[in-house]
Amino acid sequence: MDTPLVQMEGIRKTFGDVVALDNVHFELRYGEIHGLLGGNGAGKTTLMNILYGLYHPDAGTIRLRGREVRIRSPRDALRYGIGMVHQHFLQVPPFTVAENILLGTLPKWRPTSYSEEELEKIRSLAQQFGMDVDLQARVEDLPVGVRQRVEILKVLYRGGDVLILDEPTTNLTPQEVDALFQSLRAMVDKGLSVVFISHKIREVRAVCHRVTVLRDGHNVFTAPLEETDEETLVRGMVGEQLDISTSFLFSGKKELPPPPENAPIRVQVEDLAIAGDDEVLAVDGCHFTIRAGEIFGIAGVAGNGQRELAEGLMGLRPIVRGRARINGIPVEPGKTREILAGGVAYIPEDRLGDGFLPRASVAHNLILGYHYRPPYRKGWFLDWKLIMRTAWELIREYNIRTQGPDDIAANLSGGNIQRLMLARAFAHPMKVLIAHNPTRGLDIPSMEFVYRKLLEQRERGTAILLISEDLDELMFLADRIGTIYEGRILGILDRKDFDKYTIGRMMAGIPAQTG
Amino acid sequence: MTARTISPNLVHRWYRVALPYVLAILASFLAAGLFIAGMGFHVLRAYQTILFTSFRTPYGFIQTLIKFVPLTLQALALTVPMAAGKWNIGGEGQLIAGAIGATAVGILLAGLPGILLLPLVLLGSIVAGALWAAIPGWLLYRFRINEILTTMLMNFISFSLINYIATEIWPDPAAGHPTTIPIAAAGLLPNLVARPPLHMGILLAVLAVVLVYIYTTRSVGGYELIATGANPRAARVYGIDVRTLSMLALILGGAFGGLSGGIEVAGVHHRLIEGLQSNYMALGILVGLIAKGNNLAVPLVAFFVAVLEVGASALQRTMMIPGEMVIIIEALIVLFVLLSDVVERR
Repeated sequence: MDTPLVQMEGIRKTFGDVVALDNVHFELRYGEIHGLLGGNGAGKTTLMNILYGLYHPDAGTIRLRGREVRIRSPRDALRYGIGMVHQHFLQVPPFTVAENILLGTLPKWRPTSYSEEELEKIRSLAQQFGMDVDLQARVEDLPVGVRQRVEILKVLYRGGDVLILDEPTTNLTPQEVDALFQSLRAMVDKGLSVVFISHKIREVRAVCHRVTVLRDGHNVFTAPLEETDEETLVRGMVGEQLDISTSFLFSGKKELPPPPENAPIRVQVEDLAIAGDDEVLAVDGCHFTIRAGEIFGIAGVAGNGQRELAEGLMGLRPIVRGRARINGIPVEPGKTREILAGGVAYIPEDRLGDGFLPRASVAHNLILGYHYRPPYRKGWFLDWKLIMRTAWELIREYNIRTQGPDDIAANLSGGNIQRLMLARAFAHPMKVLIAHNPTRGLDIPSMEFVYRKLLEQRERGTAILLISEDLDELMFLADRIGTIYEGRILGILDRKDFDKYTIGRMMAGIPAQTG
Repeated sequence: MTARTISPNLVHRWYRVALPYVLAILASFLAAGLFIAGMGFHVLRAYQTILFTSFRTPYGFIQTLIKFVPLTLQALALTVPMAAGKWNIGGEGQLIAGAIGATAVGILLAGLPGILLLPLVLLGSIVAGALWAAIPGWLLYRFRINEILTTMLMNFISFSLINYIATEIWPDPAAGHPTTIPIAAAGLLPNLVARPPLHMGILLAVLAVVLVYIYTTRSVGGYELIATGANPRAARVYGIDVRTLSMLALILGGAFGGLSGGIEVAGVHHRLIEGLQSNYMALGILVGLIAKGNNLAVPLVAFFVAVLEVGASALQRTMMIPGEMVIIIEALIVLFVLLSDVVERR
């Protein structure tokens, strides 16, 4: 048993000029949950995609049970007993759970779709690992947590004994996360091995036996969990870029000065109902107010109306019922310009699709939404001298890597596009900020930067609507949290009452108990 | 610091912008040379004719400048809406509408002095072209009907309209071809050069380029045009009325198309003649595409294409090589320039 189950050695992978992995080593032992920790772009997913046969390494070897193997495709990987659950599930939504699990495993010539014997095998697997799921339910009707179980069962049914999970806790409620962790522990008890890819230190610490930290495509270290603490893990993930001693993200400081009482109400939402893309109400009767100097968080599993709520408030969607006022301006579809001009900054969820002009210059991008009012506008013209000066300042302040304001924005890398969007939102005076998942995809120093900026704005009296799928983030920043489920806000908690399980219940659709 | 960071970058960029063009032109001439040789003609003499006819005689040069005017304006009719991501394939109809507008003003208001009539003739063409484009613009705004289809279909309507006006409204019975009576002399564009005659349209074309350049790079409206073209969804999210803007962009393009028609009437034909649109729209689209929508490149490319066009007619006259050969060269240039984009992205 001394030979590890999986040994990856000297793995190198490049995409064009970008070196995604450089001489990376990874080792998975029998019966362990191995955390693969790193920030965005560290190469975690790429490394595991190589093990799963999706990518082919430029250099390096993979040994399985001591024998060198070549894994050319996911089909190969499954034959070797390696299965991977990606962040985006590969499922056929109108099929039942059983059909999805069995898909591709049944002999082609058999007329019936599946037999009781096969169902029994799935049931016993599900029971063994505590993954309760109704085999006859259609996948499209299931919440994310259950769909994930289906995906795991798919791997187990195919006889996989190495399970790779890529950021498996995204979009799960805290209760679902706990259940997942229990299932994983049950699996390793039965001798399976798990690779747990994550950028969340807390989760790695909660469930893993050993951890490998990657940064910028390099190994930082591999160690048993007991030999690490939060600081060594953070240090490993971010390197020297972040001064942990002054970081409030890791200082454990969770106190916020209370928001001013009786501050003016900046955002008022009454019985708001907004149609989704399919004409069905995506937001159905939301009530809340946000005062100046307050961060109001919206928690919830993605797809419960968050996007429609943000877009409705920006005047981008028809309002079916109810009303909303921002800075006293009634929100109406088509009034986006007035809403923005009233002092609203908006950070949309889909940064590339909703906020980025690839074929325009960096300077063009930096003034989008501010271009039609002073100081940038002078009569019919734009004050390009001012714009260029401001652009240079923002490029420096926000560390946007570009040749200059004239550079075509499409030349920017993903992280620089994010910084450009943040610069645009935070550099201009505002009274209200609507931010949807503002830190998604950011590395830790950038996240820290966004948190600083949000709290800075809060101090300046900005009313902030922070919609986020990251519950830790909300509990860290918000003064109050409303939990949205199927377009309704099931309950609003004050900061002193924050409890992730209470919020988790509401995220799953169970209203808060009153009294 | 600013200057230091910008200048190497600019040099670098000039080189990168110019290189694909040079390569595309060389490659297309090379390819066309194979055709010409294959057809049994003298390749170098053909090249010489194509490239140097414009510069050998004053007549050739003036001809080139006269062709330059509609090519430039037709290219702007394409590139202005293109900046907002809209395709105006109706430059031909807008040219005809503009020519009709100019003719109507020039005939109906014949009594006015030149200082009034000429501006009105030109204005008539601009308004008529804009209105002609406003129909597809409105259909796009109101019903989201694809503008490529509607602008193009409007061309066919304009063919019938010009025919009707030249045969029924103000026909010139002496002409053997659908033609109207001439517009009032006061409505004609004065000549810049007397012999061979060169009308002042070239100044208007250059002015149009300058205005478009200022508009797109300096004005708020031009910014919104570019933002819409770059990402209409993001433009809308940040308060730009994308639908109205798309309509206005088509109308603005139509205005340039109309002006090109007005200049053909007031500067070249002095009357409405069926067929006066020539193949200017196709060439204008060519120019716009080769320029990749860059309005500063438009006049340069338009001049180059005008040189090729004048060379083409000489090719036919002196060497008996079909003038279509030049169209093949032009088309190849477009293909190679567009191809260079693909190569660059790799």
